[in-house]
Amino acid sequence: MRTVVRILLCVAVAGSAAVGAQEAPSDSNAEYSDRGADTCLACHDDDESLGLFRTDHAVPSDSRSPFGRGQLQCEACHGPGDAHSARVRRGEERPPILAAGFAQNALCLDCHDSDVGSGWHGDTHAFEEIGCSDCHSSHTPHDAVAETVTQAEVCYDCHPLQRSEALRAFSHPLFDGKMSCTGCHSPHDSAADFQLARSTLNDTCYQCHAEKRGPFLWEHAPVAEDCSLCHAAHGSNHPGILSQRAPLLCQGCHSTLGHPSVLRDAGGIATAIPSQFLLGQGCMNCHEQVHGSNHPSGSTLMR
Amino acid sequence: MAAAVFVFGTSVSFSQVVDTSDWVCEFCPFESGYRADFEAGTALVDDDSARFGSASGYDEDGAYLDFSGEGSLVRESFRSSWRAEDLGLDSRALEFEGGEPGRYDFRVAYRELPQHLFDTTQTIFRESAADTLSLPSGWDSAHVTSGFSALTENLAARDIESERETLEIGGRYLASSRYRVSAEFRRQKREGVDITNGSYFTQSSQLPRPFDYETDEFDVNLNYLGSNFQFELGYYASLFDNNNAALNWDNPFISAVGAESAALAQPPENTFHQVSLSGSYRFSAYDTVLSFTGASGRIEQDDAFLPYTSNTQLTVGSLPRAQLDAEVDTTNIGLKLTSRPHNKLRVSAAYRFDERDNKTPIESWTRVITDTFNSGEVETNVPYSFEKTQLKLSAEYALRPAIRLSAGYDRTERDRDFQEVASQTERTGWTKLRWRPNALLSIDVKGGTSQRDIDRYNETLATALGQNPLLRKYNLAYRFREFAELRVSASLPVLPISVSGTVHYANDDYSQTLIGITEDDDVTISADMNWALSDNTSLYVFSSYEDIEAKQTGSEQFATPDWRATNKDSFYTVGTGARISEIGENFDLSIDYIHSDGTSEITTFSVGGSSSPFPDLESKLDSIRLSLTWRRTERQELVFRLQHEAFESDDWALQGVGPATIPTVLTLGAKPYDYDVTLIGASFRYLVGE
Repeated sequence: MRTVVRILLCVAVAGSAAVGAQEAPSDSNAEYSDRGADTCLACHDDDESLGLFRTDHAVPSDSRSPFGRGQLQCEACHGPGDAHSARVRRGEERPPILAAGFAQNALCLDCHDSDVGSGWHGDTHAFEEIGCSDCHSSHTPHDAVAETVTQAEVCYDCHPLQRSEALRAFSHPLFDGKMSCTGCHSPHDSAADFQLARSTLNDTCYQCHAEKRGPFLWEHAPVAEDCSLCHAAHGSNHPGILSQRAPLLCQGCHSTLGHPSVLRDAGGIATAIPSQFLLGQGCMNCHEQVHGSNHPSGSTLMR
Repeated sequence: MAAAVFVFGTSVSFSQVVDTSDWVCEFCPFESGYRADFEAGTALVDDDSARFGSASGYDEDGAYLDFSGEGSLVRESFRSSWRAEDLGLDSRALEFEGGEPGRYDFRVAYRELPQHLFDTTQTIFRESAADTLSLPSGWDSAHVTSGFSALTENLAARDIESERETLEIGGRYLASSRYRVSAEFRRQKREGVDITNGSYFTQSSQLPRPFDYETDEFDVNLNYLGSNFQFELGYYASLFDNNNAALNWDNPFISAVGAESAALAQPPENTFHQVSLSGSYRFSAYDTVLSFTGASGRIEQDDAFLPYTSNTQLTVGSLPRAQLDAEVDTTNIGLKLTSRPHNKLRVSAAYRFDERDNKTPIESWTRVITDTFNSGEVETNVPYSFEKTQLKLSAEYALRPAIRLSAGYDRTERDRDFQEVASQTERTGWTKLRWRPNALLSIDVKGGTSQRDIDRYNETLATALGQNPLLRKYNLAYRFREFAELRVSASLPVLPISVSGTVHYANDDYSQTLIGITEDDDVTISADMNWALSDNTSLYVFSSYEDIEAKQTGSEQFATPDWRATNKDSFYTVGTGARISEIGENFDLSIDYIHSDGTSEITTFSVGGSSSPFPDLESKLDSIRLSLTWRRTERQELVFRLQHEAFESDDWALQGVGPATIPTVLTLGAKPYDYDVTLIGASFRYLVGE
């Protein structure tokens, strides 16, 4: 569940000046604390701070880790801490430390650039200046955004519409925590539209729905081009997560003389004169193979 | 000891040497040894419900035993962890990962995901083999469903449900500080029953289709990390297997001689292989990064064809080939350049090319109509190919420290084979203003327009395909789009309350379309609030509203429009909840309530203008979840939970539609969802280890 801290991180810009690759501190030891983590832990001994020591960020045997031999410990991620940890005069505010926001990203990317991937730079989240800590909690072994059951709630902080969509009558199982946003999306590194996980939208859907990939003998053109031409993947009020009901959905593109172009009005519902074109699965009552057919006699998608 | 900061980065933020010889980390509580918590409990569910149990695993009333847990083991440089969720349910998950950070890691995960669509369905069909649905003995055929004299006595319950099992095995090996190899294998097995339809010209039967799919995926990558650049070479494969090539079924209606049974082709087995190369280079000047991605793939499908027909009474020529030899080549190329030429200016340019080149052979096929008669017509298959080229330019300028203005231009070109529009171009322009006067307030306003032009709509081709030449398929039509968005986020200066709101509007106008979708509107409003009342108590509220309206026209006379229809979907969601910890020191409480409401209104207007509104398609969800944890001792916890979920829906496509309601369609009689389920549970959690 969201916490106020995370919301504030979503809103606030880090108090310290932006630190990026183009800024290099002029002094060396003078800006860092005297004793590293022991300096920080003198004040920051709460559960949230100490939770870091149950994560891969605090592995002394890993030379890459902030707590590896000779590394900068807390200050590897939070930047030089001398000013923040020094004695403060009465009435003065303690200088802030880099703790959140986009300004901290350069420090994270110092180590995690290859983990994030080459597509991060210039991608939507980077362009919108979303900080790593806006989504990630590095001080806990259970980073909510990294676990299937809790991930969606983190994303909903900035994507509230998708929460509403996941609660609709027909949707992917995000509400129960059985699927996560990264099942389809790659928020760090994606060259595809909508930051999808694979090269195209269809390729992303085929990860779990490979039976729709074909290629079929008789293809249905919109299926082969883009699943979202008919489906609303985040959720809808229509079975099959369709964006609209048959037959009107189909009649948007099918106008052949005969039954495809006939108006099907409310006179065809069950309490009136039940119509095979409206009830059950509508057009699919006969044209079942709507995603394509590999049957030699399947050109009308009925076999 | 001196520390060099640039241990694993492409850039150096602090390229300096710091003396850390006094940094002994005396007070650092590094993890070692093992710890685990085990949870065992029981849950009671008071009613059956397919939808409630879909994904959760609680589809039937009764008692459930459940086991969960997690743990970790740290021994010197080796770290491992495991996690088990809901082992007593059909939605169980198990995960184990471990490794030596800095050298290698691995992960094994298993998950089951049940899907229960309907538990109200009934069928006369019996599964006489894995791929065959047969009529019961003594079945009496008829031309219409009301004539099925043996229907009622032969209907048997058949739930529409399936399960997806996923096994993932993966690992990474850091060969050096520059090279890393990673590999992942994922197998998904999905089997069960879903709904398909077997039709005969004018009659059809809903069939409970058994299916058994397997999809294997392989993902192997080699990463190289240089001082200013990185690249990744990858290989991905996806292999789909289907254990049923066909679904054979008996026709319950009176058939033409020889057409008493037929076969539906099932999704063919297929493979997809793709190699990719991606990377980025960071220039020293102006924080400039050039990233690229390139991928080349191939989809193949070569299943043996079913015959034209199983009706031996029909004379049909031989198939032009025994299998399709289908082949589609995919190409995906991307280039992106981002730069900060001035400390107030950021620019970005991206190019993207995607191609689906369908090389499937084209043959001539005899047209047999639903195993009933040979039309004598010959038709050729159409291998659709697509190309998409995108150019995206954007820039952001900091007018003031608190004000940023950004603008962008996108151009997307799509080319298609064998369709009414061979080429179309969409141009989008947008602008955005961001105002952040302080750390407590942020306002974003964005707006833009997009125009999609087509080279020409090939009415000759449309006519040849039997379409009304005035039809414009909405993805191929001229379209003018306007969109705007307002986002506000604020934190109150004194109270720890944050609020945010979003308003989004988009309108698509298909002004050159006479037949087809003519307009589409989408309005979304959302707001939420979070309040940390104290260190131990937080409260949240969220709500959103969305309204989507589409208008379309049609023509029964195959001429100018003589009917129209509107589709309006409205959604309203509201939720609230609280987290209260350390009540009386030992109790934690969480409570969540959600209400979600969806309404679809469809209205048709005939030639004379008379309207025919359909009954609303309604769905309403109310869910409340409550969890109370009692920390009995340092190692023991008791967890009590209560969950109540009510769902009701009105769906005219299902309501009152029994197996024999539609004269020419034998349905499964599925009923709209309507349930009211309460779950109460208790579990005991024990923590072991350090």
